[in-house]
Amino acid sequence: MIEFSDVGLHYGDGPDILKNLNFTIEHGSFHFLTGPSGSGKTSLLRLLFLSLKPTRGHIDMFGTDTTSLRGERLLDMRRRIGIVFQDFRLLDHLTTFENVALPLRVLGEREENYRANVEELLDWVGLGERMEARPELLSGGEKQRAAIARAVISKPDILLADEPTGNVDPLLAERLLHLFAELNRMGTTIVIATHELAMLDKFSFPRMRLADAEVTIHD
Amino acid sequence: MTDGAESRQRPSRRAPAPVVPGASVAGRTLMLLIAIMTFLSCVTLGAVVLIQKSALGWSAEVGRELTIQIRPMDGEDMKANLRTAVALAEATPGIGRAHALTDEESRALLQPWLGSDVDLTALDIPRLVVVEIADPRDLDLSMLEKSITTVPGASLDTHAAWRQELNVMAGTMVVSGLLVLALILVATILAVIFATRGTMASSREIVDVLHFIGAANAYIAGEFQHRFLRIGLTGGLIGGLAALAFFLATGAIVSTVLPARSSAQIAVLFGGFALGIDGVIGILAVVPVVAGLTALTSRLTVGRFLSQIS
Repeated sequence: MIEFSDVGLHYGDGPDILKNLNFTIEHGSFHFLTGPSGSGKTSLLRLLFLSLKPTRGHIDMFGTDTTSLRGERLLDMRRRIGIVFQDFRLLDHLTTFENVALPLRVLGEREENYRANVEELLDWVGLGERMEARPELLSGGEKQRAAIARAVISKPDILLADEPTGNVDPLLAERLLHLFAELNRMGTTIVIATHELAMLDKFSFPRMRLADAEVTIHD
Repeated sequence: MTDGAESRQRPSRRAPAPVVPGASVAGRTLMLLIAIMTFLSCVTLGAVVLIQKSALGWSAEVGRELTIQIRPMDGEDMKANLRTAVALAEATPGIGRAHALTDEESRALLQPWLGSDVDLTALDIPRLVVVEIADPRDLDLSMLEKSITTVPGASLDTHAAWRQELNVMAGTMVVSGLLVLALILVATILAVIFATRGTMASSREIVDVLHFIGAANAYIAGEFQHRFLRIGLTGGLIGGLAALAFFLATGAIVSTVLPARSSAQIAVLFGGFALGIDGVIGILAVVPVVAGLTALTSRLTVGRFLSQIS
């Protein structure tokens, strides 16, 4: 599904942030991406999200070499990838419903066609009663659940999450990880970058460990 | 994901909020700026329309008449010469009617220059024959010029020099007005460019979110364009309506507040500040032009911004 071949990355004339990355992420898999702060987790996620191009090597996604993707084809590829950030990145002037529905709205879909799906998803993530609330009125956990709902509403093939539990308490963090596990059980491929190793012990998913700019995968 | 969700009844939702928020301090400032620019554009355009209409009116008025001037000459019978001049004029093809101004009417013409204290009865002043043209196409001016030479002391004034000067002056003012209008529109475009850049900088988070949820640059540019179109239309309408109110108020002030004599003089110059339906349409047409310019300028600026950050 996603294959990294001899991928390397550096910014400008700086040292390698990532080097010799060779790994495959299979369809329907779940990986934790771990490593100390500054090890390049976010850079690797950006490569996976195609918002960065590798300095060398190739990234093959869904059977397409992404190296030369531009314009509309790059956009189409990105639409197959959902992403969740530590700081939620919800739009403050939109309600929870509008934030979650945004990926469908930008594709030109009409609200009457997606309304039921969005409401159903919000019910599923426990925000059924908070649809009309704006982000400022939501707790950290509610914001992150809204951000996850927004990332999966358009049914992406892969969901990336950058420190999704960084701004919530441990109990809520565990609940969020169970939510990701549930999404994975329903078929979504998931990669979660995190440095909270203690939390990961409760889950048996493989770990991609970044250290010294290289990645090793531990089942 | 379906447990119990489908059976629950939701209240109907209001229309979704715009992706790019409409109300902001920068937006209100830009709206005020566009209102002022539109007001200035409309006032300039209205002034151009007034000048052009008045110039056309003056030119047509002056062009419908000729004047035969007969200077007093020793041994000549002025009354007989006036009758001859009237007869010769009326015999010319294209002339409707001709009449000699009376002695009193001729003196009255001099009064504004010489004042009412001067006794003009002692002066032997030239007399005038006003010739009204019935149909300019049939007018045989050379025949009239030739025949009038038989009247001693007579000369023909076609007012051509006046009309030419009038047209040059009016033309200069119209071109100057249009130049000012163009400069105002350029200033508006520049203001919109700066405002758009400021808005884009402050909306960077929205742009980033739209990018990572899969929005195309064209969609993002369209959303910002809608916002700026709304601002442009609202500001333009405020400015355009204010300009119409300005012309109505000025017309009312000229006709009611100013003394009758001043009012009459201004009416002679500007036709009573009457823009006419074409003037009003012209002013109202400035509103969509300004709004369209605002939307187009913002779209181009946003497009450039997005291509820079992509």
